[in-house]
Amino acid sequence: MSQKKRLSKTETSSPSEQRQSSTSGAVCEDEDAMFTQPSTSQVQRSLEKLSPSQVDQKAAEVVKYILVKDQKKIPMRRADLVKHVIKEYRNVYPEIMKRVAHTFDQVFGLKLVNTDTKNQSYILINKLEATAGAPSFNSVDPKMGLLFVVLSVIFMKKGVARESLMWNMLGKLGINPIKQHEEFGDVKKVITDEFVRQRYLEYVPIPHTEPPQHNFLWGPRAEVEVSKAKILQFVAELHDRDPQSWKHQYTEAHSSQDSQASSSSQR
Amino acid sequence: MERLRRPSAKEQASRQDGTTRHNSREQQRCNEGSDFDSTNGQDDNERGVRKEIRSKYRDLIDSVHRNREDLLSPSNNKLTEVLEEADKLFVNVRETSEAVLDSKFVVVATDLNDEKASQMRDEDSALDLTAFAEHLLTFMGLNRLESDGEEQSGDQIDGYLPSDAWHRLARRAEDCFRTAPTFRYMLGSFHAEPPPPKQRIERQKRPPGKEAKRIMPTQLKKMEEAEQEATEKEVERILACLKRYHQDDPSSPIPYYEFVIDPDSFSRTIENMFHTSFLIRDGLAQICLDQDKLPNIAPVEEVGMEIPVDAVGSDNRNASIVSISPKIWKELIDTFDIRDAMIPPLNNQ
Repeated sequence: MSQKKRLSKTETSSPSEQRQSSTSGAVCEDEDAMFTQPSTSQVQRSLEKLSPSQVDQKAAEVVKYILVKDQKKIPMRRADLVKHVIKEYRNVYPEIMKRVAHTFDQVFGLKLVNTDTKNQSYILINKLEATAGAPSFNSVDPKMGLLFVVLSVIFMKKGVARESLMWNMLGKLGINPIKQHEEFGDVKKVITDEFVRQRYLEYVPIPHTEPPQHNFLWGPRAEVEVSKAKILQFVAELHDRDPQSWKHQYTEAHSSQDSQASSSSQR
Repeated sequence: MERLRRPSAKEQASRQDGTTRHNSREQQRCNEGSDFDSTNGQDDNERGVRKEIRSKYRDLIDSVHRNREDLLSPSNNKLTEVLEEADKLFVNVRETSEAVLDSKFVVVATDLNDEKASQMRDEDSALDLTAFAEHLLTFMGLNRLESDGEEQSGDQIDGYLPSDAWHRLARRAEDCFRTAPTFRYMLGSFHAEPPPPKQRIERQKRPPGKEAKRIMPTQLKKMEEAEQEATEKEVERILACLKRYHQDDPSSPIPYYEFVIDPDSFSRTIENMFHTSFLIRDGLAQICLDQDKLPNIAPVEEVGMEIPVDAVGSDNRNASIVSISPKIWKELIDTFDIRDAMIPPLNNQ
């Protein structure tokens, strides 16, 4: 700790920087203090004091940390990244994250996405399109099937689905919120807790309801990771109908796909 | 205030519903409402009636919540029926609390109406969940013929679902997701789950360990106590012996060595000497030297029977050490011609 303070003191020269290093040295309870981004010139000055290999080394550590953390699919918060890996390199945080994103893009074919601009949390998504019917190297998690049902119901209900409606639907598939499911265990927890923490779902209370009821919405991870067009295509396939027979959904899926396609064309 | 706002809210709701029949009802109810404003105050004292209205409103709101899905179904007019029921109740509304309940109901009903209206707008494109569920089950490999063989109590599945049903769905749904493949070590690593079971094992192991630790000191204490008790008992037994010999023949002194020596056991001899020393220390027995400078032992009589001070000498606090070795022990046995132990050995040991 004392070493860290000494380090940051030797690094800083101007009074404004001194103030910043003292706030970041403290236990980072204050979120606002945490997310004050050092300015570009500050980053430049701090970078000059570090060798390129030091910064690369740190970026490599962040990559490893994110890969391991991603196993649970819970978004990585900036606060945790700084606390556990970046530590005294926090002054060059933007530069490190730039290199990390570049590594994921070029080496792993993954895209690092910031899902929460205010609190800065990151998820990884696959840049490569999955092809239907291709042999899968990963073992399949049956929870993805459950997640597909939940997301497709929300999507087909135009973005919002009541919790009661959801359980009604899942009940038809043999899933009961108050009973242990042989595949998923505590299903209510999987849907209202795990999927929500992974940011696949939003679980929001409906105002004026007593006892409180909730709505399900797509979470930020689902928005970037899940293709609405493909969901609609699968749903239509199941019904043996043309996807275009759901006009509203078709329009939405393909307008969002356009934006996804345009973002992916930047690759 | 609430009452004034109410009809318009309901009108809006009914407009969304799109049933003109309902609209006319609303109009009618509005008129009724204003009629009752004029007669307000006539039946103020009917507390029972007020209470009944409130409870009916609550029941109504409750039933709307419970039968939500039914009310939303496009195939029936239940929502209209519920609104008509509320209209009937509203006829008798007088007080604020009832009006509040009424407005609560309107909020719920409006919300329902909104949802129902949005369904109507594109009824053809609405997803029928029952059909969707059926298609999903078929895709997951539901075997409808085996419904009787496998008893699925409580679950609404009508048939037998194979164990890999969800895997099958997940595999097909996978291409909807651009999920990053998760990082794994080729030779395996710590599995994400193990820590909790490990802790459980530790917890199970700990309690017996603690108990064993706790038992150890108590056992030691008991042993000490037992030893002390044994010593005390032995001392008392020897005192009883000594007193008996003294009583048998008070005039003749009891030679110390003859008293303590056990000709059959050197170790018992040592024990006897050890225990006898307690008698001397506690002043229950005394040792004096006779003319041949040989020690004699005698019990100290209790009250009034004290041996005169001059017989012992002024320095009665003398401490002396008796040493004995197997060689001396044998010599003593020969010298005093000891055949039997005066202190009988404990048989039970």
